[in-house]
Amino acid sequence: MKDWFHSVRTLVWKDLLQEWRSKDMLTAMFAFAILTLFIFNYAIELSPVNRAEIASGIIWVVIVFAGTLGLNRSFTAEQDQGCFDALVMAVPDVSAIYFGKMLTNWLVMLFVSLLILPIYSLLYNQSLFYAGFILVLVLGAWCYSAAGTLIAGMTVQTRMRDLLLPILLFPILMPVNMAVVKAAGGILAGAPLLDVQVWFVLLAAYGIIVTTVSILVFEYVIRE
Amino acid sequence: MGIVQKVFYFHVSSAWVGMLAFLVAAVCGILYLNKKQLNYDFLAFSAIEIGLLFTAIATFSGMIWAKPIWNTWWTWDPRLTTMTIMAFTYIGYLLLRRAVDNLEKRARFSAVYAIIGFASVPLTFFSSRLMRTIHPTIFGADTGDMAMTPAMYQTMAASIITFTVLFAVLLWHRSILAERESEVETLRAQTETLEFGEVQDD
Amino acid sequence: MSLEIRRVSKSFGQHRVLDGLDLEVQPGEPLCLLGRNGAGKTTLLRILAGLLRPEAGSIWLDDQQIDYAESHARHDIGLVMHQPFLYEHLTGVENLRFYARLYQVPDENVAIERAMAQVGMQRFGGKPVRAYSRGMKQRLTIARALLHSPSILILDEPYTGLDLQGSQAFNQLMLEQKQQGRIILMTTHDISHALPISSRFAFLARGRIAEELSNRNLSLEYLESWLTEKLAKSNSGQQRVTA
Repeated sequence: MKDWFHSVRTLVWKDLLQEWRSKDMLTAMFAFAILTLFIFNYAIELSPVNRAEIASGIIWVVIVFAGTLGLNRSFTAEQDQGCFDALVMAVPDVSAIYFGKMLTNWLVMLFVSLLILPIYSLLYNQSLFYAGFILVLVLGAWCYSAAGTLIAGMTVQTRMRDLLLPILLFPILMPVNMAVVKAAGGILAGAPLLDVQVWFVLLAAYGIIVTTVSILVFEYVIRE
Repeated sequence: MGIVQKVFYFHVSSAWVGMLAFLVAAVCGILYLNKKQLNYDFLAFSAIEIGLLFTAIATFSGMIWAKPIWNTWWTWDPRLTTMTIMAFTYIGYLLLRRAVDNLEKRARFSAVYAIIGFASVPLTFFSSRLMRTIHPTIFGADTGDMAMTPAMYQTMAASIITFTVLFAVLLWHRSILAERESEVETLRAQTETLEFGEVQDD
Repeated sequence: MSLEIRRVSKSFGQHRVLDGLDLEVQPGEPLCLLGRNGAGKTTLLRILAGLLRPEAGSIWLDDQQIDYAESHARHDIGLVMHQPFLYEHLTGVENLRFYARLYQVPDENVAIERAMAQVGMQRFGGKPVRAYSRGMKQRLTIARALLHSPSILILDEPYTGLDLQGSQAFNQLMLEQKQQGRIILMTTHDISHALPISSRFAFLARGRIAEELSNRNLSLEYLESWLTEKLAKSNSGQQRVTA
């Protein structure tokens, strides 16, 4: 067990180091996110009345789409350099590879999300820095990463690669979409905790279920 | 409601088969990963294909039924929403299969996707339900349960049973067909091998 | 402490690649596996590495069956294959450090320095792998395989990408490993380089070891003619296709 955590830590260190050197995922995701925000600016009129509801929707849509860019790239190193074999031999269990990658994707998503928030505030003159809002993003990014890492592990090995990821991922991600938008929107609108609580429970349930299933099943994505 | 009500039997039965198909596919997925016998993969694939068909029937029959009653084609009814998302999952499954050439890998990936897809269905259903109760819909009327006479219950039961049998029969034939297709693929690959005198690289 | 491959079989679909294959490798006596392209050499190596599960048969080390689910069994194997297993944006040293940590190599700095020195890459450790030439990547891949001091070395075409100097350095390295009693199994098409370090040659055809040859002052000409004869014989036969 201790070995498992140790290998996960090592894998995350490696991924973050790789990402920091290349900044592939970060720059692409960030640029894409900002551009999308601009597009929304022209597409949607945000009067103060509907701002609370729509803000969470816009932020989450931006994150979801930018996230696919990150997910697509997350396994390319392993795939192109054949590293899967080497990792399988070195780690105590294949699930460590999944969990390490999942944590990396989660952290990268969070990082990009947190960078976007001030940009949004600048453009739309609305502050989003509420603890509850950020917590929703943290949970939402976890759920996204949990499902996305499993799917990306598969799609990177197929012919269609990048194209296939959103098609496979988005239907499975629906509960997360609903929960994040509703919870975040509720928090921005100042809704009572009781209303919003149930969405947090849903996010937690989704996170636990999908992470567990993925840990059990990931072996079959990598090995014959 | 008149004659339109009769659509209801088809609608519910088709929806039931749609759900059953996904369950079959997920179970076959688990069995395949366990035992590595391609038969389970053929079964799962056939189930998904047939399930997609019946889900489409359910959706369209639902729309036909809804329009005269509530004067709207679409409602954000949790069951309808879940069914539609399931349909997208089915389509994703079929596209995934097309994107993988290797037989063994295709079966593995299909199984994994069926499992994670099926796991997400209850979550999708609950979230759509929650969306409805907390924010009363502005799109359409509620799909309340109607009172059904005993005669209607009997018809419904008969309809569901019939559709299930139909599903089983279609499943049987489709999976045999899938097995044959796979054999043809393999033979074709071997013929090409012998023709050019070159063997696959190990 | 010998490595025994007992009656290993593996099919891909209808195609039976390995058919009840038996083979033994002694410590300190490197074995060079030869055969036509597509004969199953890489498949056998992948099974030995635990990356592939055979349908039948088993692998034994020191009279105990290897359980590839155990990580200490996998940690006892060093692998060099077609793919480099390297992360392009990390430096050579960082790549080795990554694997050293996964394998929990004690004194990782010492081990990394030693591994880099063994493949003659001491000066280039600080550069990203992206900047390496093909030969340098191959050297680093070899260093990676030796880093955790495995008792079994599995090498698939190790000379690929190495120039003359690199091949000679590799051979020197293998002789050291041989002296330390490692079990070495490799495949190659470069028999001129394999000859000085291999104790035995085995020819794989039709899913089995067709013939073995001991290296008792073998000449290159004899080896080449032997290999040519074996290849010709296996080419004339049809590939076995059984259900």
